Amino acid sequence: MSSATKTSEAGPARSATRSTPLPSAGRRPRRRMSWRHVQSLKGASFTWPFVAGFAVFTVLPVLLGLGQSFFTVKSSGLGFSAAQTSFTGFDNFVRALGDETFWASMIRVAIYAAVMVPVTMMVSLTMALLLDAVRRRVANRFRLLLLIPYMIPGIVATMIWLYLYSPNVGPIRPVLALVGLDVNFFAGNMVWVGIGNLVVWGTIGFNMLILYGSLQAVPRDVFEAARVDGASEVRIAFSIKVPYVRGTLVLTGLLSIIGTLQIFAEPTLFRTVSPETITKDFTPTMVIYNQAFQVGNLNYAAALSIILALVVGIASAVIYRLANRVDK
Amino acid sequence: MRKAHTRALALVAGVAALGLLAGCSAPSSPSASATSKKPAVIDVWGWDAEMTPNIVKAFNASHTDVQVNYVLQASNPATVTNFRNVMKSKKGIPCWVPATGPVTTAVVNGWAQDITKYIKPIESKFSAGALAGAKLDGKYYGFPSGPDATFALVNEKVYSDNGIAVPKTWDDLIAAGKQLKPKGITVINLAGEDPSTLIQIEQLAGAKWFAIDGDRWKVNFTDANSLKGADVIQQIVDNDLASHQTYQDRPSLYAYFDSGKLATVPLAWWSLFGYQTNLKASLGTWKAVDFPQLSSSGTFKAPGIANPGIVPVGCKDPAAAVEYQTWVATSAAGIAASKSAKTDAISLPTSLKDVSKYTSAIVPDKLIDPAQSKDQVGAVISKAQSAAIGSFNEGPDYDAWFPELQDQWGKAMAKQITVKQALENVQAFVVQDLKTKGINYTVAK
Repeated sequence: MSSATKTSEAGPARSATRSTPLPSAGRRPRRRMSWRHVQSLKGASFTWPFVAGFAVFTVLPVLLGLGQSFFTVKSSGLGFSAAQTSFTGFDNFVRALGDETFWASMIRVAIYAAVMVPVTMMVSLTMALLLDAVRRRVANRFRLLLLIPYMIPGIVATMIWLYLYSPNVGPIRPVLALVGLDVNFFAGNMVWVGIGNLVVWGTIGFNMLILYGSLQAVPRDVFEAARVDGASEVRIAFSIKVPYVRGTLVLTGLLSIIGTLQIFAEPTLFRTVSPETITKDFTPTMVIYNQAFQVGNLNYAAALSIILALVVGIASAVIYRLANRVDK
Repeated sequence: MRKAHTRALALVAGVAALGLLAGCSAPSSPSASATSKKPAVIDVWGWDAEMTPNIVKAFNASHTDVQVNYVLQASNPATVTNFRNVMKSKKGIPCWVPATGPVTTAVVNGWAQDITKYIKPIESKFSAGALAGAKLDGKYYGFPSGPDATFALVNEKVYSDNGIAVPKTWDDLIAAGKQLKPKGITVINLAGEDPSTLIQIEQLAGAKWFAIDGDRWKVNFTDANSLKGADVIQQIVDNDLASHQTYQDRPSLYAYFDSGKLATVPLAWWSLFGYQTNLKASLGTWKAVDFPQLSSSGTFKAPGIANPGIVPVGCKDPAAAVEYQTWVATSAAGIAASKSAKTDAISLPTSLKDVSKYTSAIVPDKLIDPAQSKDQVGAVISKAQSAAIGSFNEGPDYDAWFPELQDQWGKAMAKQITVKQALENVQAFVVQDLKTKGINYTVAK
């Protein structure tokens, strides 16, 4: 009883204080947060675990890397005395902009992405459309099956495929020989094909899952109406379903581009089987890794990393903008 | 009233948190004296999961002054990467890291601690080659470690079936390769990612890719000796006498070695059991022989580079690290503790002056032709160890140029460039790298 009385007494008193500020206090009136604003903040608070992780594991390393990239470590004489670290401003960036090896690797990977991303998207979309066309129970089984490659770590997947591709002990070459094809995936001219196939195998599950989820959200009555109008399933797929999931296609496409430009594990392992083709500087991330952990120039590696991040960011923004323009 | 209460609680919580933080960061001074009486505990890194844990266990059991904590790394490259990271962060620096490259590179990178005062008193335990390999500029920056000298396994059956004598020189080997080629047999395997055979032949040829000349490095990948070694490889490549099986595809590699289509395999002692484990059909057909020489006259030499392990800068107890390593490398108990449970073989103590009494104990039972006894195989290994060249200066930036050599070697094996061009390209890379790092150099003419 007493507590109820206190509450009822305190309530009006507080609200009175807030609604009628005392002029003599000389303070600006406090604005009361709207209910909607409070709700928004509460909702946003659920993102804090992610925001904290993003800040610590992404933003902070980028800032540290940026800081590192403005310094240079130099030795002298035979190199036995302690090396001196000095602030050199944008020198590392200037060097990076003229680094033919780095930009050659960037162009190489860009060409690879131009082929690989559409292929991955087409295969993923086809899979998602096929799954969407069958009963949900059947789709669930295949969905899991197709997702398994994505669950396998890239290094492990590469090791598996290296065995499958092996010209002497792998099973693929004898199978292809049965149909008269002599294919050596370890040959220099087949390395890209081998890596591409492995990447498609590893990523279609993820893309397919997102696209399938998006397809499931398309209103079913639209299909019924189309069928009544005499549209075939193929026509429904390309004229109704695909336009509905265009936004999701842009998203998965962007993720594929970002992943492809940063390709590292697959070519690093394939380097040993085709060293004449895959050099230590084959992809931008391999150049960065080599500079950081072989050459030992962390500062230059940091500058290259920042440039790679910028290129990936710009490429993503441009493609996103173009896709949106097409959408409109 | 409520606000005051909340503030008071916040103050108490703040003080408590500060107290906790202070407790975490402040040195525990009351127990410091007690700690000093405890044994020195040192972190030792390595990637060997089989023998070293047993060695560490035996060491810890027999020592009260030093205790070793073995930190197992995933692989040799992972060790280099992780070590580079801890040296950069200056946190968690171990007291021992096995050889990850030449001692010169370790010194230039600021990694290797000067341990001269600990090594000087025990110099007599080690071979001259092991001591030379650990020294730079008159100081010991590495723990004396003997080279793993190269000898060769030859498929006796392949040579005898084709009426060809086992090659004693590289000219013999090339001639044998030409005879074997029409029968689909390659005389040697040169993996596209592994230029070690080139370095071995360059060592035999007397190449000096790096030398100290006053206050600068003399870089010389293309002198007459280097090109002599390169020419041997070029002849093998031009005549298609070598296979190029990669070590990444081990099943395929061993299947090829086992197929009777490969005549000669250069190797060091530690590969023997691996071949026995992985070969099947060819077991009992192999014979250990001397590494082919560049010339039939002259003193016998075996390739082998001694890259010592180091006590990193930042290790607070280098004496403990040296005590541990001395026990491992030279004591009877340490050598015995290296016995492998899988193979029953010890780790050959290559840093000792004479390894002959240990060599027959590292020969597997089934790999070698029964006509050649374990003692005879042991004699081949001992001879190679005694004649190991040991020194081959790999300069101040080995970590940087070796991957470039791998790239160039791969291209030379694929006949995209010649071996001479590969060496020229590596030299150009070295020059650029030293220039970037501010290290003085000249290029020999």
